[in-house]
Amino acid sequence: MEEYYLICEDSLEGVFTGIYNAYLMKKPHSRLHISIGEEENLRLFAVYEDCPADEKKAASVAGTIIREFGTEAYLAICRALASGETDKGEAVYKTVVTGFHMKNRKALMGNLANPYVHRVFELARFTANEAHFHVEFLRFRELENGILYAKIGPKNNIITFIMLHFADRLPLENFVIHDEIRGIFAVHPKGKDWFLTSQEEGMEIHSDSFSKGEEEYSELFCRFFHTIAIKERNNYVLQRGMLPLRYRKYMTEFLK
Amino acid sequence: MNSDSKKTQYNLIPDSSRGMAVNCSNDIAMTLPESGRKMTLMEKLGILSDAAKYDVSCSSSGVGRKGDGTGIGNTSAAGICHSFSSDGRCISLLKILFTNECIYDCKYCINRKSNDVPRASFTPDEVCELTIQFYRRNYIEGLFLSSGIINSPTYTMELIYEAVYKLRTKYRFQRYIHVKAIPGADPMIIQQLGMLADRMSVNLELPTAEGLQKLAPNKHRKNILTPMRQIQTGITQNKEEIVVYKHASSFVPAGQSTQMIVGATPESDYQIMMVAENLYKKFDLKRVYYSAFVSVNEDKELPALPGGPPLLREHRLYQADWLLRFYGFEADELLSEQKPNFNILLDPKADWALRHLEMFPVEINRADYQTILRVPGIGVKSAQRIVRARRNGNLSFDDLKKIGVTLKRALYFITCSGRMMYPTKIEEDYITRNLISNKEKLPFDRDGMTYRQLSLFDDGMISSWNQAVSG
Ligand code: SF4
Repeated sequence: MEEYYLICEDSLEGVFTGIYNAYLMKKPHSRLHISIGEEENLRLFAVYEDCPADEKKAASVAGTIIREFGTEAYLAICRALASGETDKGEAVYKTVVTGFHMKNRKALMGNLANPYVHRVFELARFTANEAHFHVEFLRFRELENGILYAKIGPKNNIITFIMLHFADRLPLENFVIHDEIRGIFAVHPKGKDWFLTSQEEGMEIHSDSFSKGEEEYSELFCRFFHTIAIKERNNYVLQRGMLPLRYRKYMTEFLK
Repeated sequence: MNSDSKKTQYNLIPDSSRGMAVNCSNDIAMTLPESGRKMTLMEKLGILSDAAKYDVSCSSSGVGRKGDGTGIGNTSAAGICHSFSSDGRCISLLKILFTNECIYDCKYCINRKSNDVPRASFTPDEVCELTIQFYRRNYIEGLFLSSGIINSPTYTMELIYEAVYKLRTKYRFQRYIHVKAIPGADPMIIQQLGMLADRMSVNLELPTAEGLQKLAPNKHRKNILTPMRQIQTGITQNKEEIVVYKHASSFVPAGQSTQMIVGATPESDYQIMMVAENLYKKFDLKRVYYSAFVSVNEDKELPALPGGPPLLREHRLYQADWLLRFYGFEADELLSEQKPNFNILLDPKADWALRHLEMFPVEINRADYQTILRVPGIGVKSAQRIVRARRNGNLSFDDLKKIGVTLKRALYFITCSGRMMYPTKIEEDYITRNLISNKEKLPFDRDGMTYRQLSLFDDGMISSWNQAVSG
């Protein structure tokens, strides 16, 4: 019995297109798989098929997911697909298949006893947690031209999730968040809608010349950060548990 | 309240001889600026955050509202911690005193009148600039402004009002502001400030009136409860007004909190929990904070705490507080006159379960939500997930693990489809031993007493420790 692998792009569109094509194939879902990017361990009895992303197909799958399983499931799926893990495409595909077999489709994400649903739930939680950490630990620095600039290095592709938060938080600021791992910039011009752009598109950010205020306030915050601790309660283990080390290289109070 | 003239000046310049080191290292010398020189913002922030650090205000949670796009900020409903200081506590707000001048002489307080410490006061604009600039850079969610008492409670509250009013209007800061209401201040100024603040708190300071009398001779229980009641009434009335007039502005929308110091006076955990329960039920408080006493002053009225602040006790109180607020427990289910203090070896929920073994095991696939919530090892989120997930069929122990249940704690108290996870005795001593050998994760390890040390204790030592923690 041959197994079929649909090779999809690493994006929401890519995986949704894969799901669309999988349903077109009219084969048992147990023998169909979605994999992201090049499959590394080629199998002998497997058929690989490239599956270029298609906007229309993707939109139709997105619509179906929202309609059949509700917005909660859709959001979980979007979060799962922002994950850096490569099994996410397969997990989402099989979760959708599972959902169509359930009597109450809106309860899909509650069906945690199903391994695929559970995996989507888990991936979504990783992404959500990492996004939340960035909402907390991301630091803006004011550049000479007044733009607020933040650099991040997340494991998952969380930039769109955190932009929703920061656009609401700082509507009247020009600010840029820069994912240095993926080379993506999220740009928020004061009072306007934000957008994503990539490094190649000629983003010129002089991210090393800071304003005078930046120097002053980053030092003030450093002072605050140290004086606010109660030394009789010092507990570096707890601090490390709450604030993982990998975030600190982007955080003002740990840079000095 | 009388006060000497030197301490009544607003924006006072301390008289001392040395300059203050401006750096960002861990050991900051608390030295004073040269005499006559104007204090820098850095120096003021150093003094006034140092003086505010004992106040607990862990999270800015409680209000979820979006920015309206015309100013700065949004307030997220989930608590946001922007950093964690070296004591592992969350930094979510710019926590400062407006001034550390004080006409009172509370024995436990670093700012008391009789202490010879550097004094400083912010100007309203300094408070505003710091808040705005810290907020923009994502250092903080908002402002927590407390203050020593300068001149009189009313005078001090007026200064705080001026700062907060400026921050809301001129600086258009629409985000979280928590201010302290000072007992004894004119109700009018408390009312006005409440229209600008998200949260207000009046510190209970000490659990009982006797404790207060002993350690805070200028404060009176009645003066503390009066503004607390005023704020409670204000919140209730305002909610009704908002129903009628949609655009009525809101009064203390994130509710009221308070804090008490634990371990400076001899109250038992039972007394403290009864006080907390009453504050939740009769004063509708959002949060009660417990603050392990840190000995900053030499005073014969204060206990010597050679083991450092009573952090384990504070931790147990917080655990019990959660049980009151989210798990449907009542204080006198957890403790009693006969058993006035929490078990040092077991968290309050496990302790309760072990004393009520007749109610276990519970069947995960049938028991109601409230019953499941009382199982050790199952939290609010897991209980909710269980109730949802079992609609699609019976859950197994494997499923519970995926859902996030801590099975090594829960296994003694539950069955799945009629079966326990392992054949196990439902017997108090046996389960106690097993729960204790499963090292509880405590949020601290230097309480003078690590968990490992604790578990080596024999009974005699435990009771002497119990006496020690109950003061
Ligand atoms: S009133 Fe008491 S607790 Fe408050 S600052 Fe003054 S001395 Fe300290």
